[in-house]
Amino acid sequence: MTLLPLVHDGLLVGAILFAIGLVGILARRNLIVMFLCAELMLQGIAVSLVAWSRQYGDWGGQMLVIFVLTVAACEAAIALVIVLQAFARTGRLDAAAWQSLRESNLPRVIDHGLPAPDTVAPRFPRLTPAGVLPEQDEDEVLHREHV
Amino acid sequence: MSLAAAFPPPGLLLAGAVAAAAASLWLMLPGNALGGDRRVRWIGAALGIAALAGLALSGRRLGGLGEEGVFLVVSGVAVVSAAATIVSRSPVYAAIWFALALAGVAGVLLVLGAQFLGVATIVVYAGAILVMFLFVLMLAQPAGLAPYDRVSNEPLLSTLAGAVLLGLLTVSIGRLSGEPPACCQVPSRTAAVAGGTTDAAPAAADPGDPFATDHVARLGAELFGRHLLAVEAAGVLLLVALVGSIAMVSRGASVEDASADGRAPA
Repeated sequence: MTLLPLVHDGLLVGAILFAIGLVGILARRNLIVMFLCAELMLQGIAVSLVAWSRQYGDWGGQMLVIFVLTVAACEAAIALVIVLQAFARTGRLDAAAWQSLRESNLPRVIDHGLPAPDTVAPRFPRLTPAGVLPEQDEDEVLHREHV
Repeated sequence: MSLAAAFPPPGLLLAGAVAAAAASLWLMLPGNALGGDRRVRWIGAALGIAALAGLALSGRRLGGLGEEGVFLVVSGVAVVSAAATIVSRSPVYAAIWFALALAGVAGVLLVLGAQFLGVATIVVYAGAILVMFLFVLMLAQPAGLAPYDRVSNEPLLSTLAGAVLLGLLTVSIGRLSGEPPACCQVPSRTAAVAGGTTDAAPAAADPGDPFATDHVARLGAELFGRHLLAVEAAGVLLLVALVGSIAMVSRGASVEDASADGRAPA
């Protein structure tokens, strides 16, 4: 089978995105980041489907991507509600806060040796003052105070 | 079937690139065994760049410009931002990187000839879903970095699992270019065109043509013609998700309030 130009590359990019999303879903603990990774996997699927659609000259792949978008929107709505409810109950966005739900014979995840937080404070950009201070209209100032 | 056939020299390059990508992700994930030093993360980033170069080299010989150059750039943006999404400590930065990854994916879709889907990805994902994620983050994020953002679940095993999956996928994708067995010959449109049997469809109907002027019209005709039932089902699904999410939010918030309100007028 001779793949059309860019179809091989599209499949490769889809596979890479899917694998990165899988690593994220397995490794990260933040519930919202886990959902972002699930969306990333869906994006990988979408790229692969469009590549196949190009290869075979068929609209089926693009149709499937449209329905993937639809289901992703539904999934995000439901999942965010569940995340919000979980946060309201535990006060954390931590997946390990719900480890009591799993099998009773599995060992508990206990965080020991947490890495220290970055000691370097984040540097935010700062606007340099420029220009002259505009003259203030007294009426306007009074008006503002009344508002 | 020998192992040498499955791993030709480009395959070896590919395996090295996949291993380098996995090592780079492991070095950059929060809370690995080496203890999150900044220098370790820079080493991981350098390894990631090497892995990208290896993947690009093994994907195809570099030399094409134009379409392939654009494809390389946008796919590089997508892959790098996706990796940055999962290694960002702060979930807000993860969401921003995810938006950039979406932009890269939309570019890939555009180059592959799916104009409508490229735009729809930006509108639906970056415009709606991502903003919803950010709203929830702002509602639920404690001040500063939470401890669970500074550690990972089994970073080594996770990246190994990802590397195994990526290796399997790339090997099977590479085999697609080879000669398939006789059982699995699927008639390709290009083969049909090259063979002279052009009775299948006019050339403008090809969804892969990025310069077709009536792309969206044909997409809509296909969507509301052949897949009309699926569109109806998708509409029902959206309605159910809407009702369900509203019901779950209001129920979780105030079960007691609702029962108290029910008794109040009596």
